[in-house]
Amino acid sequence: MMFELSEEHRMLKDLVAKFVDRELMPLEPAVLAREAQGQKVGLTDEEEARLHARCKELGLWGLDVPAELGGANLPVVALMGMNEELGRTPVPFYFPPDSPNLHMLMAAANPEQRRLYLDPYARGEAKSAIAISEPGAGGDPAAMITRAVKDGGDWVINGRKIWISRVPYADFTIVMARTGEGKRHEGITAFIVEKGTPGFHIEREIPMLGGQRTYEVLLEDCRVPEAQMLGRLGQGFAPMQLRLTIRRLQMGAWCTGMAVRALDMLCSHARQRSTFGVRLADRQAVQWWIAEAATKIHACRLMVLDAAAKQDAGQDVRTEASMVKVFATEMAQDVIDHAMQAYGAMGMTKELPLQLMMQKVRTMRVYEGPSEVHRMVIARRVLDSRR
Amino acid sequence: MKILVPVKRVVDYNVKVRVKSDGTGVETAGVKMSMNPFDEIAVEEAVRLKEKGVATEIVAVSMGVAASAETIRTALAMGADRGILVETDVDLQPLAVAKLLKAIVAKEAPNLIIMGKQAIDDDMSATGQMLAALLGWPQGTFASKVAIEGDGVTVVREVDGGLETVALTLPAIVTTDLRLNEPRYASLPNIMKARKKPIETLKPADLGVDPAPRLTVLTVAEPPKRQAGVKVGSVAELVAKLKTEAKVI
Ligand SMILES: Cc1cc2nc3c(=O)[nH]c(=O)nc-3n(C[C@H](O)[C@H](O)[C@H](O)COP(=O)(O)OP(=O)(O)OC[C@H]3O[C@@H](n4cnc5c(N)ncnc54)[C@H](O)[C@@H]3O)c2cc1C
Repeated sequence: MMFELSEEHRMLKDLVAKFVDRELMPLEPAVLAREAQGQKVGLTDEEEARLHARCKELGLWGLDVPAELGGANLPVVALMGMNEELGRTPVPFYFPPDSPNLHMLMAAANPEQRRLYLDPYARGEAKSAIAISEPGAGGDPAAMITRAVKDGGDWVINGRKIWISRVPYADFTIVMARTGEGKRHEGITAFIVEKGTPGFHIEREIPMLGGQRTYEVLLEDCRVPEAQMLGRLGQGFAPMQLRLTIRRLQMGAWCTGMAVRALDMLCSHARQRSTFGVRLADRQAVQWWIAEAATKIHACRLMVLDAAAKQDAGQDVRTEASMVKVFATEMAQDVIDHAMQAYGAMGMTKELPLQLMMQKVRTMRVYEGPSEVHRMVIARRVLDSRR
Repeated sequence: MKILVPVKRVVDYNVKVRVKSDGTGVETAGVKMSMNPFDEIAVEEAVRLKEKGVATEIVAVSMGVAASAETIRTALAMGADRGILVETDVDLQPLAVAKLLKAIVAKEAPNLIIMGKQAIDDDMSATGQMLAALLGWPQGTFASKVAIEGDGVTVVREVDGGLETVALTLPAIVTTDLRLNEPRYASLPNIMKARKKPIETLKPADLGVDPAPRLTVLTVAEPPKRQAGVKVGSVAELVAKLKTEAKVI
């Protein structure tokens, strides 16, 4: 038994590695400069259009989209190698379409919704967002109070969502709301709300670490036709969980890539910087950082591949995904921190990508569920499995 | 026109090569291996000739351990049509490779062979020339430009001091230099298609060739460590040092 990507999946990873080196790395200085000036970290429309054209040429599009929708239908395992490469640069970019909502739509959309939302999304032509979190319900989404009430042929949604990414650019947002009297997970339903729907107000933009932006959304008598209920009434939690699982595995791969970059930088600096007449690379303190980083990167990569392979085999990997999410984000943070420390003052500058990766990984310990919540879930499952 | 492109599996150009602790060679265990970059240029040139309608078939050949099939697969993903793997664990030296290639030429009858001017592992720069001698074919080595005209090929060669243009009659051998082209990267659909392209596996014995090494490697060693540099205070001091210490002027 070999714990590595197949030959073909290695070739795909190499393809993305070249894409990152030739197309994304050259954009890094501009992205870092934008962040240093306090702007939103993103690509210009022109940069994004050029990258998308290149992706189309290279077939880096619709990677996990099923063949009947024109995609490459790659297994999750293949995507993990490719995402690891994308993680090597903080230039924000993904190959359209973004996976999590794709999988949620595939699991829950009816034929008409497939035509209206999934097909254009799968083609990479539509953008989407997901609104789960609320001021009183984040790490514990089952505490949400946003409510949808049936009124004739429509649902009328009222509530407040916060920390929602991408929402101003989204052609549609999947909004989670309470529809029944059930407690906690029961009675939560997903709705597709199109951009510009009356009563769907984007109240404010919230600047976050790493030049990221999230948004607060007020739903005020926001009316959507019954046909826009996604999946079964009161059963929205399970497809939402699937979506979160996909993202958590992807985050594991991104973190592996970030840590690889930080370790590369740490090694190159440690070899050429001398203090007190000795190279940093010859100091035990630095060597231990390097050894620990290499070991944890190896462990993380294997954890990600294991969870991805099980996901491809149709197993429930929620526990593995939680483990990956906690381990990967904390691992990457440690490795980046040591690299920054080894660079000294240079590591504190906004000219190196390390600080931007650090800010990103800091937010990753919170979004898609804080580490502590995942630990709680893992511990519960472990305890429950013992007699 | 059929083009044969030999491709070699070498330590990836980004990897820092390390000598094995027993001095018998370089470490390849656990090291990322890739197609020799000059061979990538050769595959690219062949694929361009096919895209222009000049070539009809491209056959990629690799020799060595079973994992060399992966290098062939990369060539197939770039656009070669099929592959031949000559599988052996013997350490292959240029003469053995040239003899094996000669046997494959007898089997395949290509009109043109495009190959790397050298492999970045041992930098021998010998196989193409040896093959030309064994076959009695004309050779255009270190090519920075290749043009097929009728039954001939014009090759612009990068030689010391400038460029030399030679006209060869097909069949011929061209070895590639860095400036010939910039190799494409295999696109995702082509990587997927490569899976379905055939790779034939042969042994040296099937080709009637004894690949045993003719050269004995005594020892492989790291280059000597560079001495630390010194800072000079003035041009005069520099010139003095170059005269008296370095003795180069
Ligand atoms: C960059 C970014 C993008 C985001 N994008 C989206 C989005 O697109 N859509 C969306 O719906 N949401 C989004 N979020 C919100 C995110 O999912 C929530 O912030 C996250 O789930 C945590 O919720 P909270 O902020 O309410 O923290 P809380 O749930 O209040 O938790 C706060 C802290 O309390 C501790 N804690 C909580 N529960 C436990 C426990 N059981 N045991 C021990 N300690 C505990 C943890 O330390 C935790 O960090 C985003 C967040 C960020 C930072």
